[in-house]
Amino acid sequence: MPNVSPNVEKALDTLSDVRRGKLDLGWMKSNPEGWGVKATPRDERGLGLEDINRVGRYGDVPDEGSIFGSMAPRGSEIPEDMPSLGCYDINDKSLVWAENAAHLYDEAVARQWSSARDIPWGELQPQRDDLEKAMCQVCTNLAEIEFVAGDMPAKWLHRINHDFHEVKLFLASQIFDEARHMEVFRKRALANGGGLLRSSPDSEQLLRVILEAPNFTTGSALMHILGEGFVLTLFRNGEMFALTPVEKKIFRLCMQDEARHVAYGTMHLKYFLEKHPERESEIHDILRRGEEATFSLNQTQDTVEARAILAGGGLEYIEEGFKKLGYLFKKQIHEYLYRLKMAGIDRTNKLAIPVELPI
Amino acid sequence: MTWFPSKEFFEELRAHVNANPDLFRRLGTVDMTLVVKIDYDDSSDCYEITFSGYRCTGVRQLASVANAAKGAVILSGPYSGWREMIDNIVANGHADLEHTLNTLTLLDTPLHIEADNQLDADLFYRYQQNLQEFFDGAGRSESTAEMSTVH
Repeated sequence: MPNVSPNVEKALDTLSDVRRGKLDLGWMKSNPEGWGVKATPRDERGLGLEDINRVGRYGDVPDEGSIFGSMAPRGSEIPEDMPSLGCYDINDKSLVWAENAAHLYDEAVARQWSSARDIPWGELQPQRDDLEKAMCQVCTNLAEIEFVAGDMPAKWLHRINHDFHEVKLFLASQIFDEARHMEVFRKRALANGGGLLRSSPDSEQLLRVILEAPNFTTGSALMHILGEGFVLTLFRNGEMFALTPVEKKIFRLCMQDEARHVAYGTMHLKYFLEKHPERESEIHDILRRGEEATFSLNQTQDTVEARAILAGGGLEYIEEGFKKLGYLFKKQIHEYLYRLKMAGIDRTNKLAIPVELPI
Repeated sequence: MTWFPSKEFFEELRAHVNANPDLFRRLGTVDMTLVVKIDYDDSSDCYEITFSGYRCTGVRQLASVANAAKGAVILSGPYSGWREMIDNIVANGHADLEHTLNTLTLLDTPLHIEADNQLDADLFYRYQQNLQEFFDGAGRSESTAEMSTVH
């Protein structure tokens, strides 16, 4: 037997006792209140998080996460000597919760897609140089910015108390969604005779606002509602001006994911403001900064020119493209304000950016 | 002959989705109510289509959108816009690049969407591929050849 640490020695002793028949079996009598449940699937979609939250007290989500600060599953019996790990310090439910989190996670799992398998790559066709370059520039920009929406939840995820596992699981699904988005736009840029074009120093600077948000809720308002709301319209835009069924499908599938993320952000902000109406000004402040950043990001020259070329149908029709983008911008603003109203915040008269582009 | 628009037409699309369970199982669950509103000069036809899980669970004709289920997304437009979309789907077997639901609604013409709140309206984007497959059923169901867009 090599020299082993006290922990390993203790584990070996325990194993030895068990093998000799010195059983404890105390765990079999633990958590009697939680025993005897039988979760069943609601329908053919299978057994979802929403279903298991309907049995016993397993769906009771505490306003304050477990004081143990451990990884113990919500609803389990927690021994008194459970150590706090110290890292789970987001323990206030209102700081992360959304009433639709479990539903959105179930939906996210059911709606996963593969950029390798589900995109009809064989239907790509050679394009005019201006159109291919415009599509590749748009894809370069999207490949650059999309994973910020993965990095932001990742930054907070490990701090969220396990009692709010619905939120943790949903955010984990979002991170994978964003990975797929980064991947699919990179693939499109490299798959049709073009390639990646120019990355954007402005985007990098502006997206720092999201990553450097002082807390999860302000980061979520910036990213889920403002940023992803705007990108959702960009994806709709991309679907409309797609060159082939390939881009059509890419943008449509990404649009679906993005709308799911927006739904979480909207309902989280609603929950947060219901619990903390006194913090509305904090949300206004961060959104003002975010609006300025997002507006600038959307109007960077490389991006807006490429999008206008696609919207118009070619470089010679770029003016027509700008007109369409102008209409879509108004729509972006309208939907953004409407989502905020749903969350309980009105920025109609506080917008830091114009409601129309001077086009 | 299955006329567009008619309850039977949308029942055909519903039957197509439910008879091909892999279609929605591959795309994922859908939980929404869509109201198709076809506008004429002086009247409208309304059909409420309900989706739950992997199925299209119901189709009913409504007297007006006021009778729609709470949270429904209203997809409306003039008959000419609807007719062009359905004709295109029937001719191609699916919507071509210019006739997808997203393309026809993004600029709010010829079709547009509305809902009581933006979260409900966003369902139209969240389930876009399923909704497209649902309408593309007009080009794929066994009765395709019999579908008519003559009102």
